[in-house]
Amino acid sequence: MSEHEFHPLVKQLLDGDITLADLPPALRAEGDEALRLLAAVDRSPVQLPAVSRRVMRAVASRPARSVWRVVVKPRELRLRFRPWLLAPALAIAAALLVFLRTPTAAPASLVTVRFVLVAPDAREVSLAGTFNQWDAHATPLIRSGPTGVWTATLTLPAGQHQYAFVVDGVRWVADPGAPAVNDGFGRRNSVLTL
Amino acid sequence: MIIALLTLSLLGMQQRGSPIAARLAGRVPPDVAALVEELGTAASTRGLPVDPLIQKAIEGSAKGVPAERVAAALRLVVAQLGTAAAALQDAGVVSDTLVIAAGGFAVTAGLSGHDITALARTGASVTALTVGLRVAGTLAAMGVPSAENIGLISTKLRSGQPTGDLLLVPAHVQAEIARGVTPAQAAAGLERAAAAQARHGPPPGHPTHPPHPPTPPHP
Repeated sequence: MSEHEFHPLVKQLLDGDITLADLPPALRAEGDEALRLLAAVDRSPVQLPAVSRRVMRAVASRPARSVWRVVVKPRELRLRFRPWLLAPALAIAAALLVFLRTPTAAPASLVTVRFVLVAPDAREVSLAGTFNQWDAHATPLIRSGPTGVWTATLTLPAGQHQYAFVVDGVRWVADPGAPAVNDGFGRRNSVLTL
Repeated sequence: MIIALLTLSLLGMQQRGSPIAARLAGRVPPDVAALVEELGTAASTRGLPVDPLIQKAIEGSAKGVPAERVAAALRLVVAQLGTAAAALQDAGVVSDTLVIAAGGFAVTAGLSGHDITALARTGASVTALTVGLRVAGTLAAMGVPSAENIGLISTKLRSGQPTGDLLLVPAHVQAEIARGVTPAQAAAGLERAAAAQARHGPPPGHPTHPPHPPTPPHP
């Protein structure tokens, strides 16, 4: 396809800057042809229904934007001082302060403790106690080599903890290396005071 | 309108679920949860801690204990906490829930209300008393008889030593037992040493307090 380059004056004609009469006679035929070609171009709007639908759907699905416009729309505010509302407002503020103020507990110091159980025949051993809501699966011990020594190292808050080892998921065993108390269910809980 | 909104929000905050139910949700059967709620509410009105009840209920369920047995254990915990609170009150101690819980543990371990009162009458701060009760309970669990136990912990509390020193007592007793003495002898020996130190100060070359934080006792 060859390209036809119009004379600069003809381009001005097409841009509407000048009229056909303003062209020199030698260029009038070219200008006339250019106008004829321009008139032949289909200027009806291009319809892209799928695109239009997508765009309109996207716009419709953004109601928050209009809500946001309402919220941020500049408006005039008038503030009036009403002395009789001051007392209830202060009372509410005081109540909120008392109600919302949560007691800030002193940060508990942490202590690292190593738990050890010798259980050569165990397939799995875990640790359950007051520090992990007695969850028998939360704190598994790791077997150290073929000797059957199971260990876990935990960092616990200072205070008192009760615990037991859970062997193979079913057998609750008190720590033989720690003092123990009756658990109230016929077994023993080991005690750790940090 | 603002006041109305604030009031509504306050009411909404007050009507949030109870903390007991929230902690037990999904951990214990509904009947046990209901019992803990009932016992816990009653305990709270008496100034008793609720946490030991929640812990015992969760423990019972985790161990697969039947509900009726968990219920019996819960009632026992309430009774032990009540004994501790009464013993502290007898000593004129303005107690908080932590010290009552520590006293409850001491009762669980075998100490009596009289033992708790004796410790509370040492004049120790509530914080030191809390640690003292925990340690006394631990010693009881180690087999130290009440007389030697209370003698040792009372001496330690009266000396005003830091609570870190108290926490070392079970390890010291354990070390003495490992040397071949009985728990009673171990505690009595440590009490004599503590009393002498209180009278004459620490031995030459030994600082009053350890230069480093105490190492944690190995369980």
